Amino acid sequence: MSLARSVPLASTAAPIRQRQLLPARSGMVIAAVVVSLLSLLPLGFVVWSTVDTGWVTASALIFRPRVGDLLANSLLLILLAVPISTLLALALAWLTVRSDLPGGRLWAWLLVAPLAVPAFVQSYAWVSLVPSLHGLLGGVLVSVLAYFPFLYLPIFATLRRLDPALEDSAASLGLGPWKIFLRVTLPQLRLAILGGGLLVGLHLLSEYGLYAMIRFDTFTTAIVDQFQSTFDGPAGTMLAVVLVACCLGLLGLENVARGDERYARVGTGAPRLAAPVRLGGLALPCLLLPALTVLLALGVPFLTIGRWLAAGGTKVLDMGEILPALWQTLSLALAGGLLTLAAALPIAWLAVRGRGALPRLLESCGYVVGSLPSVVVALAVVSVTARLLFPLYQTLFTILAAYAIMFLPRAIIGLRASLAQVPVELEHAAASLGKSPARALWATTVRLAAPGAAAGMTLASLGILNELTATQMLAPNGTRTLAMGFWSYSSELDYAAAAPYALIMIVISLPLTWLLFLQSRRLADR
Amino acid sequence: MRSVISALSAAAALAFAMTSVPTSALSDNPAKSITIYNAQHASLAKEWAAAFTKDTGIEVVLRNGNDSEMGNQIIAEGKNSPADVFLTENSPAMALVDAAGLFAPVDADTLAQVPDEYRPEDGRWVGIAARSTVFAYDKTKLAAGQLPKSLLDLADATWKGRWAASPSGADFQAIVSALLELKGEEATRAWLKAMKENVKVYRGNSTAMKAVNAGQVDGAVIYHYYYYGDQGKTGENSKNVAMHYFKNQDPGAFVSISGGGVLASSKNPKEAQTFLKWVTGKGGQDILKTGTSYEYAVGKGAESNPALVPLKDLQAPKVEASNLNSKKVTDLMTEVGLL
Amino acid sequence: MSFLQVTGLSKSYGAVAALDGIDLSVPPVSRTAIVGPSGCGKTTLLRLIAGFEVPDAGRITLNGERLVDEALAMPAHQRGIGVVMQDGALFPHLSVADNIGFGLPRNEPDRARHIADLAYTVGLDAAILRRRPHQLSGGQQQRVALARAMARRPSLMLLDEPFSALDMGLRASMREAVAELLESAGITTILVTHDQAEALSFADQVAVMRDGRFSQVGTPRDLYFHPSDTMVAQFLGDAILLPARLSRGMADSPIGQVTVESAERRDSARIMLRPEQIVLEPVSAAEATASAAMPAFAYGEVKKSEFAGSYCTVSLRLLNTPDAPAAAIGATPLVLRRPSVEELALGSFVRIRIVGKAHVIA
Repeated sequence: MSLARSVPLASTAAPIRQRQLLPARSGMVIAAVVVSLLSLLPLGFVVWSTVDTGWVTASALIFRPRVGDLLANSLLLILLAVPISTLLALALAWLTVRSDLPGGRLWAWLLVAPLAVPAFVQSYAWVSLVPSLHGLLGGVLVSVLAYFPFLYLPIFATLRRLDPALEDSAASLGLGPWKIFLRVTLPQLRLAILGGGLLVGLHLLSEYGLYAMIRFDTFTTAIVDQFQSTFDGPAGTMLAVVLVACCLGLLGLENVARGDERYARVGTGAPRLAAPVRLGGLALPCLLLPALTVLLALGVPFLTIGRWLAAGGTKVLDMGEILPALWQTLSLALAGGLLTLAAALPIAWLAVRGRGALPRLLESCGYVVGSLPSVVVALAVVSVTARLLFPLYQTLFTILAAYAIMFLPRAIIGLRASLAQVPVELEHAAASLGKSPARALWATTVRLAAPGAAAGMTLASLGILNELTATQMLAPNGTRTLAMGFWSYSSELDYAAAAPYALIMIVISLPLTWLLFLQSRRLADR
Repeated sequence: MRSVISALSAAAALAFAMTSVPTSALSDNPAKSITIYNAQHASLAKEWAAAFTKDTGIEVVLRNGNDSEMGNQIIAEGKNSPADVFLTENSPAMALVDAAGLFAPVDADTLAQVPDEYRPEDGRWVGIAARSTVFAYDKTKLAAGQLPKSLLDLADATWKGRWAASPSGADFQAIVSALLELKGEEATRAWLKAMKENVKVYRGNSTAMKAVNAGQVDGAVIYHYYYYGDQGKTGENSKNVAMHYFKNQDPGAFVSISGGGVLASSKNPKEAQTFLKWVTGKGGQDILKTGTSYEYAVGKGAESNPALVPLKDLQAPKVEASNLNSKKVTDLMTEVGLL
Repeated sequence: MSFLQVTGLSKSYGAVAALDGIDLSVPPVSRTAIVGPSGCGKTTLLRLIAGFEVPDAGRITLNGERLVDEALAMPAHQRGIGVVMQDGALFPHLSVADNIGFGLPRNEPDRARHIADLAYTVGLDAAILRRRPHQLSGGQQQRVALARAMARRPSLMLLDEPFSALDMGLRASMREAVAELLESAGITTILVTHDQAEALSFADQVAVMRDGRFSQVGTPRDLYFHPSDTMVAQFLGDAILLPARLSRGMADSPIGQVTVESAERRDSARIMLRPEQIVLEPVSAAEATASAAMPAFAYGEVKKSEFAGSYCTVSLRLLNTPDAPAAAIGATPLVLRRPSVEELALGSFVRIRIVGKAHVIA
């Protein structure tokens, strides 16, 4: 089994055979299949370990009151945090897109910026501000603040793109403003809400640090507890089985709710821009909503970090410790981002250019695996490498491969969108001008898709930057990333020493979220 | 364009290259470097490692984790383990690895530095520090007469919702393993079941103590040094907290031994043994006295921090460290739903 | 009596005046077309009537009821005005049936039959009622949009370039069908378009719009033959603009004498002829040269002839330029589109005869 050789195929396979009719394509297919098979490793592990554990032990570990508690916790969390985030994101998106809210553009960016604050830093900020904050309500509050931008961003983008002619038509058919929103606008935001809601739901299920700090037990915290007590013991693995079932359930639910819909705009020509609604005297009260949201989601973290930095003074700024952590984090994020991109390229290319069932199957593989919590991916990778592939155990390659598995969908989405913008005719034209198929591919499609590729890689790197659980479990000896440094200090309640790490993570992430924001606007304006 | 290709190939090449360097890839120093799987407090291990490197010139790579996690990890890694030395906070994980036969015998002169009571009879690992179980309570709420006489009292319904612990931590699991050793499986299971009803769960002993200080609970079963550590800094999280030692050979008076051992699979056995000797010797033990860890020193003639209640006054129960069974403890705790 | 009355309507977007004091009077159960180049403000006018936007100044009344004036602006959903937009603006998330029934009360008894009737009225097959808008052709989409707008029995229907996305062939038949349908339903209609042929054939009343103002309002025939200025003349169709000298109901032009309506006498004027008014009669070379002095007719030589199927584009060099003003045009050949059956050979000669009266422009 050559884990090592399979991934580089993605970038080198294309020019191998010149005599085949479509060498680029067959190379891509092979690469895509290999990547997909590798990305299925965590799922395979979960299935295999269930079988390995045996039904009696497995059922004893799955059907116990503790699992019931955790299930109830996770469901309650999702049932509260997702709808609240949706309502918040809807209101904010409407205010920033459709009204003449003062400073609309600035607010729009500020409302995406909380993505730069890792969820566990958000939790740290709140716990040190309000020490008694804990349990379900605390979890819901911090989750909403940490994750609502995942809903805000797609709703914002879709709302900008909506054809206001539809709303005008509805008005001419006798509907008042509220009814128009409910019967025309909202249904068209459905896909954005479902997609964003799914993303938030998956984060709720897979986040560890946030809930550990706020003292709310979920499957993920319980799995980490088990890991810390037993390494890869069966109780933890069985919790992972249930968690995976939850994630797949969520994915399936979204799929069913989405149905077979296509909300393509009917007709031609660019839609006119919707005239902003005048808020008039309501402008100030309306301003309170984004202001309060930004204050809670950005102000509190910055305030807390600032306070701890001031309290800790210069003695917590141990540069000999912080700089290596920064360097390691950046290297991991960059290398992991590139590997993820390389792994995503064949799948995205096939999804756009390929025909038939295989490309769709491969692509959905990526999405399903991407929905798995990082703790499960890490558990699978640790167990498999420790038992079967020891030469890869605790290597940099292994952690990068795990990152690639976790963040594959992010890179696929970005790549896919921009590959789809490039007509295949350009490749043909390049071929007719004497370029080999591989050269034609590089010279046209890849070059034009570069912005999307960069965005996809950025998103993957952003994920890696703020990754905690998997990094802790998989990191090569001696690795200490910013997130690990932050976590080790904050779990010893040394909030002051943790503060510089939190600040650096946010500062690095901020420009990346800016890119994300620009990208979503560009996509929407297209 | 070309830069994209070369960047991608560079990533691939980088990934390739890393597979051929199996361990400590980010900071490899082939000569005179040991890898320590450290489950002790990261800050204490860092102090030790820095001083050790300074004294001996041997570099140290630390991998931080938890007792049972790393114990089980070493067993899963088997003879391939990249670890040279294993340090824990408590004994059960040492016993676990020892039972798997993965430790090399500790050098005799190292053993000679530590009294018998702080090391197992087989001499395959050695105590490096010790800590005492305490009941940290809110002195503004509880008077001396209202304190529990025994750890077992906390199973009473009167204590429902009033005390805190960190059951996912190795520290508390070590206390339970002592209870198991002293009172047997049935009594332990019953106590854990009652605890599941009574306890307020926190993650981490310092968090539990902070909850006591903030008045969220009346008391918490933790180790002594969290209190002294906080007092040594700002005291912000322990202003309202006082220590109650159960004494009287109660399971709650359990003194847990932090252990250190050299892996039989170590490729640097000499350096690893040097570390163990150093840490149990004056260099390592002095850091316990003067540093910020506030753990008890266990070396012969080594003194602990004068702020602490002397180790000999604690009336700890006698527990054979090598008998402590972490697997049984996590199984029981999983069974009652604490994990 | 006027059904829709628009008075002094103005609307600016920033510094740009989209509408600058529009007055329009629409009689009941009539068809009015507003035609003009893109950006002239015609869609803005429609949106103000529909109530999607509020004017800066001016009044609109419908059947005596105030829709908008200085004091109030009735919201669009209370106006009861039907609108069909350029692309149909069908709701992509609803089926065709739900699109048609969108404005109907949801608990209306017989809703399904009502929808089926509407579909039938606009000529839609019942089978497509369960489809989604994106599964329909452009023509079908517009029919759905029309049925949807008609469902609420509006007294006024606004059509915003509803046929522009359709194929040429489909466009004419659709236009005819819609006109017929709306008239039989007794619905007053305003059509906005940039296609002059569409405006002329559709409407009873045409308003030509430019830069936020009406250049001219009138019947199609009136506008076509009696445009108020050259812009209107040229916008509504091919126009031959000639310098002329007027006297006693006649005009002397480079292509001969032609009757005009005006009795005035003027030395310098501009007249307009539509190409259809010109008849070319083949003559021999001899006659052409000999008759060059005759003042009543002009003669020309075919210098160029481009075959294009049903018609030929013919360039004529005028042989006799009777008068001084003609110097302006003398060098320029007269270019005309003729039915290709006329077969005017290169180098042959024609007599130019004018049918009907010329229109004096300024």
